[in-house]
Amino acid sequence: MILRALVLRPILREPMRTTLTILGIAVGVAVVVAIALSNQSALRAFQDSVDAVAGRANYQIVSDVGLSEDVLLALQPFWGRGVRFAPVIDLEGIAEVPAGLSPAPGALPEQLPIRLLGVDLLSDLHFREYRYASVVTSSHESAATYLSLFRDDSVVIPATFAREHGLKLGSPLMLDIKGIRRSMIVRGLLEAHGPATAFNGAIAIADIAAAQASFGLAGRLSRIDLIVPDDSLIPAIERILPASARLERPARRNERVERMLRAFRVNLFALAGVALLVGMFLVYNTVLISILRRRRDVGVLKTLGTSARQIFGAFLLEGFVFGLVGSVVGVALGRGLAWLILRMIGRTINALYVSSTPEAIVLTPGIIAAGLAVGTILSLLSAIQPSIEAAQVRPNLLLSAVVAGRRRPRVRDSAQTTAEPASPNRPQVVIAVICFIIAVLLSRLPAWNGIAVAGYVAVLFVVTGFSALAPMIVTAASNLLRVPYRAAFGIVGELASASIPASLRRTSIAAAALSLAIGMMVAVALMVGSFRETVRVWVDQTVSSDLWLRPSKGLSNADAAAFPNAISADLAKVPFIAAFDRARGRGAAYGDATITVASGDLDVAARFGDLPMITPRSFSEALRNAVARDGVVVSESFALKYEKGVGDDVTLTTILGRHSFPITGVYRDYSSDRGVVVMNRALYTRLFRDDAMNTVVIYLKPGVDRDSARRQLEASFGPKYHAFAVTNGEIRGEVMKIFDQTFLITYALLAVAIVVAVLGVINTLAALILERTRELALLRVLGMSIAEVRRMLVLESSVLGLTATVTGLAMGYVLSWILIYVINKQSFGWTIAFHTPVRLIAASLAVTFVASLVAGLVPSRLARRIDLAMAMKAE
Amino acid sequence: MRIRLEHVTHAYAGSEESAAVQVLDDVSLEIAGGDFAVLMGASGSGKSTLLNLIGAVDKPTAGSLFLETIDTSVLDEWHLTMLRRMTIGYIFQFFNLIPTLNVFENVAFPLSLAKVPRGEVKPRVAAALADVGLTNRATHFPSELSGGEMQRVAIARAIIHRPSLILADEPTGNLDSKNGEMILGLIRGIFETRHPTIVMATHSEHAAAYGDYVIEVADGKVSRGSGVGSRGSDRGNQGVPPTPDPRPPTPPSK
Repeated sequence: MILRALVLRPILREPMRTTLTILGIAVGVAVVVAIALSNQSALRAFQDSVDAVAGRANYQIVSDVGLSEDVLLALQPFWGRGVRFAPVIDLEGIAEVPAGLSPAPGALPEQLPIRLLGVDLLSDLHFREYRYASVVTSSHESAATYLSLFRDDSVVIPATFAREHGLKLGSPLMLDIKGIRRSMIVRGLLEAHGPATAFNGAIAIADIAAAQASFGLAGRLSRIDLIVPDDSLIPAIERILPASARLERPARRNERVERMLRAFRVNLFALAGVALLVGMFLVYNTVLISILRRRRDVGVLKTLGTSARQIFGAFLLEGFVFGLVGSVVGVALGRGLAWLILRMIGRTINALYVSSTPEAIVLTPGIIAAGLAVGTILSLLSAIQPSIEAAQVRPNLLLSAVVAGRRRPRVRDSAQTTAEPASPNRPQVVIAVICFIIAVLLSRLPAWNGIAVAGYVAVLFVVTGFSALAPMIVTAASNLLRVPYRAAFGIVGELASASIPASLRRTSIAAAALSLAIGMMVAVALMVGSFRETVRVWVDQTVSSDLWLRPSKGLSNADAAAFPNAISADLAKVPFIAAFDRARGRGAAYGDATITVASGDLDVAARFGDLPMITPRSFSEALRNAVARDGVVVSESFALKYEKGVGDDVTLTTILGRHSFPITGVYRDYSSDRGVVVMNRALYTRLFRDDAMNTVVIYLKPGVDRDSARRQLEASFGPKYHAFAVTNGEIRGEVMKIFDQTFLITYALLAVAIVVAVLGVINTLAALILERTRELALLRVLGMSIAEVRRMLVLESSVLGLTATVTGLAMGYVLSWILIYVINKQSFGWTIAFHTPVRLIAASLAVTFVASLVAGLVPSRLARRIDLAMAMKAE
Repeated sequence: MRIRLEHVTHAYAGSEESAAVQVLDDVSLEIAGGDFAVLMGASGSGKSTLLNLIGAVDKPTAGSLFLETIDTSVLDEWHLTMLRRMTIGYIFQFFNLIPTLNVFENVAFPLSLAKVPRGEVKPRVAAALADVGLTNRATHFPSELSGGEMQRVAIARAIIHRPSLILADEPTGNLDSKNGEMILGLIRGIFETRHPTIVMATHSEHAAAYGDYVIEVADGKVSRGSGVGSRGSDRGNQGVPPTPDPRPPTPPSK
């Protein structure tokens, strides 16, 4: 009965309040679930691919510089001890497929990233299962049916991939692997099983001998897959490995990818946390409002003999019910949101971290449980404090309204506090100051395990500090606005500015929630704006060459596609080229993580290019030293992550074994957070036996027209090397486009937080109106029109909106400082110069302010429905 | 139920800006079991505070207050709650029905607190509603009732658990004279048929006439009033130091 009286009936009888609260929690939970889902999906896509390609292998011999076939000979003695091994070529490349299923004549083919898997088709059955859907056969089927698969130009592709791109048995398929272009023939189709499911089916399987012959890999292997029956054999196997190779479990690669994505994931979850935090404010507010509104009922119930524990339980249950229902809705909503997020961050993850297409979203019991737990527990926690307050309501104050209204209470009484003129609250200021001091101290702590834990906690303390100040700020703002509001809107304006501090507890929570959302939005806008500006300046400085020659159109395929070294000789013959710098980058294991080892013609770069340096000042000095001393320059993120600087050594695994390189410079780099080590091309090709290149940076002779140079280059190199020439302007544009795509998700999450906060404001104002029915009716009886009442309510929400906007702006600057100088620096190793994107911030503040006005419009409709006679009659 | 106050003083705590307000000042008083006492006094005289203390919703700042042999001034919150739940019925000036419960549920509420078996609840509520003439309003919500009807529901709620003490704080203060008359008649009827102790606060002479005797409350002191009660008997010994009562407390279900 108590539940029915205090919780269940009010939930049903106040559909607007119920819906808004549930929606608020649901949105918060949805964001968390969506991010968990999309992370899981993106990561699992990669893991599944690794697993599918690894097959039954429990160990792999891998090397960043490739393996010699001789390792297979060294492994022979282990065959008798039950060890099975399979040589594998596993390379990323580009496939050219007809654009669309029925391409227009003359249309350029579409370029797709593809994985080339070269295996010994006969012996590989121990490791991987291939189910042929169809195979090219000769006129009469015989034992020789499968022989066609062993031809030099044969590939087998998944039937799904073939179907999607209009390929059939016998179709030609142009592959570009490490800069070598070969037209292969599709001679077999695989059912969606085993390796055919990896990389979303974008995989081409060839016999290893054919792959080696076609792509200049004679005698080389990417890795060797092993089935080792007994781990005691491992030390013996390790002894026969060359210095550049290592033996590891296939799962190691998954771990590396997971580590690489961790900072990125934590960042996303932290943002989701903001939405959830705002949702918590909403629950707190809702339960508090329902308690304040039902104080009288609570008092009657207590007078009639209901115990404090029963009242506490009832309101706690209200928080629980809201949490549970909100979470259920949130999990469902999150699934939809995940799909959306995946479309957005899928690109980021692909561009920055791993290449595999995220697959379908699967709502696992773990994620469902986590979503429900997060929403329910947080709303339960938010309900505790107001429920305690409800339990403490003394019955004596409620026997009659006269007593309650006149006496100063003996115990803390929030209904009374609301009517008090709010005096500056010393304890709250003290709390705020303590919070700010703790935040400052925390922001000086180093990262923990690569994650800026202290930074995130500092953000929480800043938010808590500002929230503690909210009642004071709201009161001050209302007092400040009273005079101008009276001048502008007359008595309606004065009433509006006076009524906000009159119900301070409720309004300050709404203002705090809105400030928090606005603060985070401003902070992220400042962070992203600063980052964007920093990157723009960096790109302008770095991309100073005239033209870039690239083997593929999009930037995201840049790593997979490459030119062969033969292009060098042809470029040297072009009369209008002053110099060219051949850039090459590849992933390499470094400790537990993956870094990028890159190379270029550093002497050319030193003469013609520009690189923003940290140490030494002069980039040409750093580059020349690197050339002269066989050294490297490293990116800032590498220097920060591994605590290396000029004068230290970097040890990398090369084809000749472990090799130390002196660091001659540290430069700024925003292209990747995994750390980059750059060396001269000559050194790189010698130590990594890799002479392909991803991009050729071209410097034209003075006076040469860029456009005509571009046309001539494309005309002569296009057909032969499948080369595209792009201008520095296009490169800059493309970098900024990728940048903006990457941060799209960030903005989307913040928009969600704003939506939740606006819901909170609507909720609070609606509750205030219901509570003030009598007061509003009185104003109406005294002659105020409905329009005036509505104007007053909208003005009230404008006071809240203005307060939240100003507070949010201040909070945003503080938070952005932590984001830029602590969290970003520690998570990604990027130094960002502070920059205020004035227009972006002005626009977002305008949007949130208008949203808060709209928040006042919605509940003001309730004012119309007040029945004057009833309202005046009912107590 | 016999009520006995010994040197009861009550003050509301002050704050930084204002001093404590003393509402009752060394009040001693005895109301015998089965009496219908009327508290009269001007606004602010302390009668509602006195009612709160007798009703175990507040504790005296000093002195003792006995309900039968139980000293409520030393009880903790839990025992005060149990005392209210089991032995006292309340009728308020502003009715104080729970707006989210319908008439039947409002009346049944004390029974649900007392964990009365479900099968017993329905006939008891029906009987109580019949007593106040609201059988046909059982499924209505308070917002659908008139003031007189709301107070009749409140009376049904106040008697449903057969309390030995009924407190009424200005029960007609919010009603027109016709409805007020009916409510007072109902309260008197309950007194005649069930014989609970009733303490009613009012400042209406007319309402006071329905009680047995009047206790005047003024400036935090109580004094003996006239025996105006309709029963005509003046059994009160107001203001007289109380004597111990050998009778055991009345069981709540009586």
